[in-house]
Amino acid sequence: MKAKVIVTIVLSLVIIVIGVTFGSVWVPPDTVWHIIRNKVFSVPLPESVSQTSVAIVWNLRLPRALLAFIVGACLSISGAVMQSVLRNPLASSYTLGVSSGASLGACIVIMFGVTLPFLPLMTLPLIGFAFGLGTILLAVAFASRLDGQMENNTIILTGMVFSLFVNALTTLLSAISREHLQRLVFWQMGSFSARGWTPVAILAPIIVAGLLYVLHYNRELDMMTFGEEQAKTMGVNIKRIKWILLVTSAALTGSAIAFVGVIGFVDLVAPHIIRRIFGSSHRYVLPMSAFFGGAFMVICDLVARTVVSPAELPVGAVTAMIGAPFFAYIYFGRKNKA
Amino acid sequence: MHIYILEEKIKLKLTIATSLKDLLYGGKDKMLTLSNVSVGYNGINVIKNVNMHVNYNENLSIIGPNGCGKTTLLKAVANILPYSGEIEIAGTSIKKMKHKEISLRIAMLTQMSGIYFSYTVFDTVMMGRYLHIKDKLLGLPSEADKEAVLTCLDAVDLLEQKDRMITTLSGGQLQRVFLARTLVQEPEVILLDEPTNHLDLKYQIELVEYLKKWASEGSRVVVGVMHDINLAMRLSDDILVLKDGEIQVQGKADEVITDSLLEYVYDIDVAEYMRESLQRWQCIGENNKNLSVPSAI
Repeated sequence: MKAKVIVTIVLSLVIIVIGVTFGSVWVPPDTVWHIIRNKVFSVPLPESVSQTSVAIVWNLRLPRALLAFIVGACLSISGAVMQSVLRNPLASSYTLGVSSGASLGACIVIMFGVTLPFLPLMTLPLIGFAFGLGTILLAVAFASRLDGQMENNTIILTGMVFSLFVNALTTLLSAISREHLQRLVFWQMGSFSARGWTPVAILAPIIVAGLLYVLHYNRELDMMTFGEEQAKTMGVNIKRIKWILLVTSAALTGSAIAFVGVIGFVDLVAPHIIRRIFGSSHRYVLPMSAFFGGAFMVICDLVARTVVSPAELPVGAVTAMIGAPFFAYIYFGRKNKA
Repeated sequence: MHIYILEEKIKLKLTIATSLKDLLYGGKDKMLTLSNVSVGYNGINVIKNVNMHVNYNENLSIIGPNGCGKTTLLKAVANILPYSGEIEIAGTSIKKMKHKEISLRIAMLTQMSGIYFSYTVFDTVMMGRYLHIKDKLLGLPSEADKEAVLTCLDAVDLLEQKDRMITTLSGGQLQRVFLARTLVQEPEVILLDEPTNHLDLKYQIELVEYLKKWASEGSRVVVGVMHDINLAMRLSDDILVLKDGEIQVQGKADEVITDSLLEYVYDIDVAEYMRESLQRWQCIGENNKNLSVPSAI
């Protein structure tokens, strides 16, 4: 198991390096290393490293690759938690309306030109996050009122109803203000282009804190996969922990998509693939899903920006196009062998 | 003189034992007491005003037709379902206990549901140590926790399977894994919802015998919902018969179980059922006579 963990972590780091070196211009890994040392530790750059390489690596590719990694990690952890808490292999934050809420928030910002007074550049991410989290909080609170036991089916159905309702509001607003439609559609497709270091600086502590926090509940998550009644008889305070985990994983998803738009699929497949390799124990599933999902997102972004260069493909479409066959190969291929 | 001193010593020991029990449990012999307990779903009472008790070291089997409320009653005692009335363990109402305290004192083996994610047998049973594990930050089990898991796995004859994934086990093996997980909680009360489901004859009998032994050690009771009346009577002297959420009778099995009671509760012709069963056993008896036993035996 330890060997598998080390291989996964090393592979993820290698993939980040590949994500930085590849692109319209090839930048060798040693150059990348010199640039990072120069920027972080102020070590002088060798003569051979051009300022163009520095600009490409430090201003564009490195923040982009790290952002893709962090977003992939956030979404994958969130997916793993949702699947276990709701005991449904297809559950995700999106099922409970996070993406619909964030899209509505983005729609309002784009259509009405809303700007926050002190943080104009952060308006879209912050309102997207607030709407995403608000939708899931409303859905879970409503489910809690409907059903005091907070049964999973009630939560999923309520989440879907809220999601559809909020989607309808977004559609209505888009229909009224067609001139902004293209910007909204692009936001919904998801992209990591030209985001700079700001989202990395904001999301890095969020992913670390979020991962450690959900990891603290790894045993409860294990027990909840056997059903709430069994977990309850073993001493798990189901209602409290369910609230904590649902809101934390929704916040992780909300934070990620607020900066880059709606990117699907990785939250669904990463935890499943990791369970195939590492088993179901959340002590491994949560951190390894983060590494796998992050690395997977870096690869998808690399494909999205290089295949039709200088144009870019929407990364949300790439995740599904690469992920679906890969998932089928891992999941069904291994099943057949077994 | 010697006999007199011996009698006095025994009396003294008994007095000390009784005083200790009084001190620990408030002077009551009743381990589990239910008073006017009603449980319902959507405003309809499935369990209606149930009053019952189980004494220390005395198990109880609950029998009754499908849908009569047996599982609902157990779930109320396990604090899974809300109820009205009073449920007490050793004289203390469980409403006054925190959720964790209830789980430390009452464990329940629920009916099996689908398994979505796979764990090893060892890890699955270790989940039962949730409240006992002292390392709350990382949840790492101590040597004592590991030892407790291995002991319970041995008790259900699954020690050699400890590293197998539970998705590869048969229904009977899985049931034994969950039973080990219930035992490893080290509760005072074990509630079992149809524990012999999926088990073959050997394990059904072994399970019941093990539970009887478990309950006889220390202040423990087992309450089992059973479908097989023979096994129910094997598990406990006391039987509780439920129908339509109400207790029909509770008492010593050989005193309360009658043909007319079974006919009323299960709506079957007991005489006809017994006649058919007897005929089958007679056939088996005839077959046994005709068997050619190898001379070596």
